[in-house]
Amino acid sequence: MSRPGLRLVSPAFEAEALASLDSLYRAALRLTRVPADAEDLVQETYLKAFRAADSFEPGTNLRAWLFTILHNTARNRARDRARDTVAIDSDVVDRAADTPPPGSRASAVETPETLLLRETLAPDLQAAIDELPEQFRQAVWLRDVEEFSYAEIARMLSIPVGTVMSRISRGRHLLFDKLKALRPANA
Amino acid sequence: MHNCDSLDPLVTPFVDGALTDVDRRAVEDHLRVCPPCHSRIAAERAVHDLLRARRASLCRTEAPDALHARCAGFAKAATAAKADSAKNLQNLQNLPNPEPRTPNAERRSPNPALRLAPFAMAASLVVVVGGAFVYQATDKSARVMAAELVADHAKCFAMNSALGTHQAASVVEQSMASSFDWQMHLPDASRGELELVGARPCLYGEGRIAHIMYRHHGRPLSLFMLPDKARAQEMVEVLGHEAAIWCANNRTFVLVSGEPRRDVEQIASYVQASLH
Repeated sequence: MSRPGLRLVSPAFEAEALASLDSLYRAALRLTRVPADAEDLVQETYLKAFRAADSFEPGTNLRAWLFTILHNTARNRARDRARDTVAIDSDVVDRAADTPPPGSRASAVETPETLLLRETLAPDLQAAIDELPEQFRQAVWLRDVEEFSYAEIARMLSIPVGTVMSRISRGRHLLFDKLKALRPANA
Repeated sequence: MHNCDSLDPLVTPFVDGALTDVDRRAVEDHLRVCPPCHSRIAAERAVHDLLRARRASLCRTEAPDALHARCAGFAKAATAAKADSAKNLQNLQNLPNPEPRTPNAERRSPNPALRLAPFAMAASLVVVVGGAFVYQATDKSARVMAAELVADHAKCFAMNSALGTHQAASVVEQSMASSFDWQMHLPDASRGELELVGARPCLYGEGRIAHIMYRHHGRPLSLFMLPDKARAQEMVEVLGHEAAIWCANNRTFVLVSGEPRRDVEQIASYVQASLH
């Protein structure tokens, strides 16, 4: 009965959706790295979410649904602006992900790993995360910081679950190597 | 017992505690006899634990207040659009049947074509509201810009209804001229069905835009003028509204209304022709 694209937004849906705004903004910042673009991306995400509110399945994770919209929107925008973006060969990235990280299996880490990272300074950690290649950064962040399931991340990034796991694994190892390399400087 | 290669797909779920008991025990058995695998899993777990432990500090960045306000506005606008749509529906239901049952049915509710015609004659209600508001003239997509303006359209009309302010055409003309160097002639209130409602300034982002509010047969309609920015002429449907966007004289104009696209296009053409 309503016009196409017009949906009722219930107060509960609205409140729960808006509660995720800060984490969506952080995700958008990681994707765009430019605050104005991140704001634009978040706005478009909410716009789509409120329009499509009735396609959200109650009982499922609303936050994950919003993240999926955000990542889809970012992907579409990147496609639209392909000439402005650095082309990333997804296959190459995934082949790299399937290759064990150098030294990870051959050489043992001498000190207990968690102790090694315990003293990592916050700015160093943030910088190391920021330096990770896009695909690995997203996967690790969505899993370890945002705590989404593999299946939810697979939907967001539009990749198979197996690839999600290998990207998380690869990303964690890259991060470990970066942070480990910082240790002598911090000591 | 797993070998190192067959362990690969199990490493990450093992670290995340997402394995079944059987798989978990198999991995543990392997780790007891394979120091390299033990090491790589320990490295992965260390990062996993570190990120979880530092989550609060990693998530310190918050979205700007203005972004919170705008997104909340989208929800309100979506709800308002829904209410508006219900009215549309009601209007449609009031339209005469192809074979009117009563002789005066047509007078009670004119058909849409007739309803639009008088607009070009400026005989419909025109409410003018001046407002300078601030706007960040960035490279926003037409869609996002239209959505923001629809949200403002809904907000300003709601505020205007509540305040019930009225403002004369001459006052608005002066305001537009002094604030935006926008010389215009608005339909005169003495022309029958014209009704001036009022003005409300909005503050928003950075930069200034003009917001003029009309009523077309009682239905809210907004005309926004933004600072110079070249954009393609287009119609965007957003939040149950139509936004007609065009550029003229180094300025962007956006006409926002909840009326059907065809009507909005016609109104936009009329406004486009009448603005100088």
